[in-house]
Amino acid sequence: MHELGVATEIHRACRRTMESHGPGRIEEVRVAVGELSAVEPELLQFAWQAVTAGTPDEGSRLEVEWRPARQTCLKCGEVAERGAGSWLRLCPRCESPLRVEGGDELDILHLSFTPDDVQEPAP
Amino acid sequence: MNVQQRVLAANDEAAAELRRGFRADRMLVVNLISSPGSGKTSLLEATVRALTGRVRMAALDGDIATERDADRLRAAGIPAHQILTGGACHLDARQVRTALEQAGMGKPDILFIENVGNLICPTSYDLGEDFKVAVLSVTEGEDKPFKYPAIFSRSEVTVITKSDLLPHVPFKLDEARAQVAALNPTGRLFVTSATSGEGIREWCDLLMERLEGKRRA
Ligand SMILES: [Zn+2]
Repeated sequence: MHELGVATEIHRACRRTMESHGPGRIEEVRVAVGELSAVEPELLQFAWQAVTAGTPDEGSRLEVEWRPARQTCLKCGEVAERGAGSWLRLCPRCESPLRVEGGDELDILHLSFTPDDVQEPAP
Repeated sequence: MNVQQRVLAANDEAAAELRRGFRADRMLVVNLISSPGSGKTSLLEATVRALTGRVRMAALDGDIATERDADRLRAAGIPAHQILTGGACHLDARQVRTALEQAGMGKPDILFIENVGNLICPTSYDLGEDFKVAVLSVTEGEDKPFKYPAIFSRSEVTVITKSDLLPHVPFKLDEARAQVAALNPTGRLFVTSATSGEGIREWCDLLMERLEGKRRA
């Protein structure tokens, strides 16, 4: 389980971004997590609570946008249907090999924080 | 505010720097990832036996707590340095950089990085390698590729190990092949045995081919 390490990196990156804005605390961070990033959203949220506990960012929210990978057919190009977490061996229409696209995301998308001298979160 | 940043940007930068250094040195770097006990070290021992005298090899071995794998590879005759992760479930690029500075193993032609035994966590951490290798033994389930799609889709090469045991285990080789192909249609797959020697020559040929490619680049 490396969600703790990933949460630490997210926290560090957010803190670096905030540095130029003076002291403050994180309200919410939104991240994109791809299906192939080997990160479990729920574990990441637990890890976020653990990482921010005892810091000014304790109680902040980590929102996860889940980005599934797509299996596409090399021949008919269509996105093949599959259930969540299950994979197709061949294209159900033409039995051609499939390609896996996307699902690599592990990105910070949005950060909202409240500077210490202001009451409302920064946009 | 909107932020567009890779979570692992710090690791990615360290890996990019390593990759530039490896390119300047014309060193082929292979990152091997598997479950514990899948036979990575035995595969490397067989590789060292096959390639000794043709190329200089060295290894970095990631392990949570023991020096065993590096000991085995030193016994096989190549410089090997253990990276003790102190509990971490993967190697990161900064650990590799520090290890290379400390190890003093010169400039091998091929550097093997034996990652911590785990099919999940090492997947996201770029180490500056030329390619990743997913190692799967026939004593594991043939359904592992679909269970761990991240590593099998990102590894240019899959090596199936312990093929000498195929008659004695329920492992369905065709199913494993089909799953790897579905996740990674352009990937290469080798069926090997460090005991019988099956597939070792083909795997070594690939390493030599890639090393030549890197020297020409
Ligand atoms: Zn099709």
